[in-house]
Amino acid sequence: MGSRLARDNRALGQILLLAAGFLVLVAISTLSVVLVNQARDDNDWVVHTVEVENQLSTLLLGIRTAESTARSYLLTEEQRFLDEYEAAVASILPDINELARLAGDNPVQLDGANQLREPVQARLDEFKRAIDFAKRHDMAGGIAMLRASDTGASARRIGEIADTMRAEEERLFRLRTKTADRTEELASIVTVVGSGLVVLLAGISIFLVRRSTRARDEAEAKLRDNNLNLEATVDERTSDLREANNEIQRFAYIVSHDLRSPLVNIMGFTSELEELRSDIFKRIAALHLAAASSPVPPAPEGDTEPVLDATDQQLRADFSEALEFIKSSIAKMDRLISAILNLTREGRREFEPLRIDMRELIEAIVTTVAHQAAEAQAEIHIEPLPEITSDRLAIEQIFSNLVDNALKYLKPGVPGEILVRGRTKLGYAIYDVSDNGRGIDPKDHQRIFDLFRRAGMQDKPGQGIGLAHVRTLVRRLGGTMSVASELDKGSTFTVTLPINWNANQRNRDR
Amino acid sequence: MSKPVTIIMIEDDEGHARLIERNIRRSGVNNEIVPFTSGTSAIRYLFGSDGSGLDHKGEALLILLDLNLPDMAGIEILQRVKENKHLKSTPVVVLTTTDDSQEIKRCYELGCNVYITKPVNYESFANAIRQLGLFFSVIQVPPAAL
Repeated sequence: MGSRLARDNRALGQILLLAAGFLVLVAISTLSVVLVNQARDDNDWVVHTVEVENQLSTLLLGIRTAESTARSYLLTEEQRFLDEYEAAVASILPDINELARLAGDNPVQLDGANQLREPVQARLDEFKRAIDFAKRHDMAGGIAMLRASDTGASARRIGEIADTMRAEEERLFRLRTKTADRTEELASIVTVVGSGLVVLLAGISIFLVRRSTRARDEAEAKLRDNNLNLEATVDERTSDLREANNEIQRFAYIVSHDLRSPLVNIMGFTSELEELRSDIFKRIAALHLAAASSPVPPAPEGDTEPVLDATDQQLRADFSEALEFIKSSIAKMDRLISAILNLTREGRREFEPLRIDMRELIEAIVTTVAHQAAEAQAEIHIEPLPEITSDRLAIEQIFSNLVDNALKYLKPGVPGEILVRGRTKLGYAIYDVSDNGRGIDPKDHQRIFDLFRRAGMQDKPGQGIGLAHVRTLVRRLGGTMSVASELDKGSTFTVTLPINWNANQRNRDR
Repeated sequence: MSKPVTIIMIEDDEGHARLIERNIRRSGVNNEIVPFTSGTSAIRYLFGSDGSGLDHKGEALLILLDLNLPDMAGIEILQRVKENKHLKSTPVVVLTTTDDSQEIKRCYELGCNVYITKPVNYESFANAIRQLGLFFSVIQVPPAAL
């Protein structure tokens, strides 16, 4: 019970461990995905910052280009510079718009970008006026005007705003770089910790699996040992039983033999006494005659009964009665001893399995009891019977005993009906011997199978051995037997025997 | 036949011995009967103090043997008698309560001449002994050694 609980716990532990491992893997995967996404976003933000800075630089570069080309044009009046100037001016407004779009996420920068519009426009107007001077070929005026405007409010304003914006972007860049770094760091921590956990769980799993394997191996070894022990115990017990059985057989054999020896004496000397009795009473008769001293001639010698008076006649009758009782008792005792001897001899006989045609066997038995059957006005019917493989002599003894009994215990004055039936079931042949005889009281059903015990009216000769013998034989053949009966309602004896009895199996057990 | 046959009766049960003797006498056999109630004393008599059996050389003996003796197995006496060069031609009649077929077979194999089972029924018993008397009267008992 305890070990079973432990085993259940172990199984549960392994399931929990597997579940934990799975959960950890899922958590790590989810966290990794989240963190990777986060890192990508952070990086996007960093890139975005750089883009904003870039755009700002581009814008400033555009303004510078416009300024420098305007100057160059003023100085040289070459058409090439004018073209470059116009291209630069044309790109400035879109650059501002682009900057505003890029900085759209950040209200401070958006504001900055929009603030740029006004001074940039002012600056562009200054450039335009300078160019107009050039077109009027007033180079000096243009140069002076440009020189003045270079240090003017617009240029200063553009510089300030650009510085503020750049500072802001620098700050954001630092911040966002840091966030991205932290996210990456977090991702690697999660990966490392997760991997560690997985490795740890795997380790615990391996430990548990090895432990349960070891436990199983131990249990197997124990089971094997137990099996061996069990076999040894069974062998030991079997040989003990065989020994005990042999002992009983020998004991019964010796006892019955030794009992017979004094019985020979008792019977012998009783018979001698019987001889003496006739001599004694002859002498008594002769003495009487002598005492009477009558002149009657002496009683003739020979087998004739001596003449006795009433008292002596009585004595002689008592004497004879006593001797008769002794002799009949001895005869009975001799029959019992012979029966025991036969039983022990039967018990020692080796059985030999043969294929038996049961119908033929029963018919042979019926033939041998035909005379008794005719006397009892009994009819014996045999239904189809299954064949079996068993010991022929034992089967003969079993069924001739049962048929004998059926004939012997019929109801007087009622024609006997005896029926032998058979069927097979699960490797067993089942035979019924039924009669319409006097039946057996249910309280005696056990008793009739006991040695030297009988039941019912004791008006038939018998030693109470037949059924005991039959049951012993049936058991030795690996079968069972039972009786169904009620007083005055007939009896049915049922014998169940294995269809294929294996002698080795049984003889080895003995 | 110069000397009459001596009957050696080896029987531990004195009652049986008495009954056997009576019935032998009743059958008209008057030969000397030497009774022994134990195997050891019978062996001593038969084989002498030196165990050679020389004492009975030339004597006509007949042995009546019970198999169930208190001190030794009767079958052993049978075996020794039949193995002794002076005694081996002595007829041995086994008279015992054992009616086991194996035992009977073994006795005949060892050279027993007659095997009689003692029946409890006295009529049969007396009858068997009387027949034995008849057997005694016809049998030519050779001297126990040549």
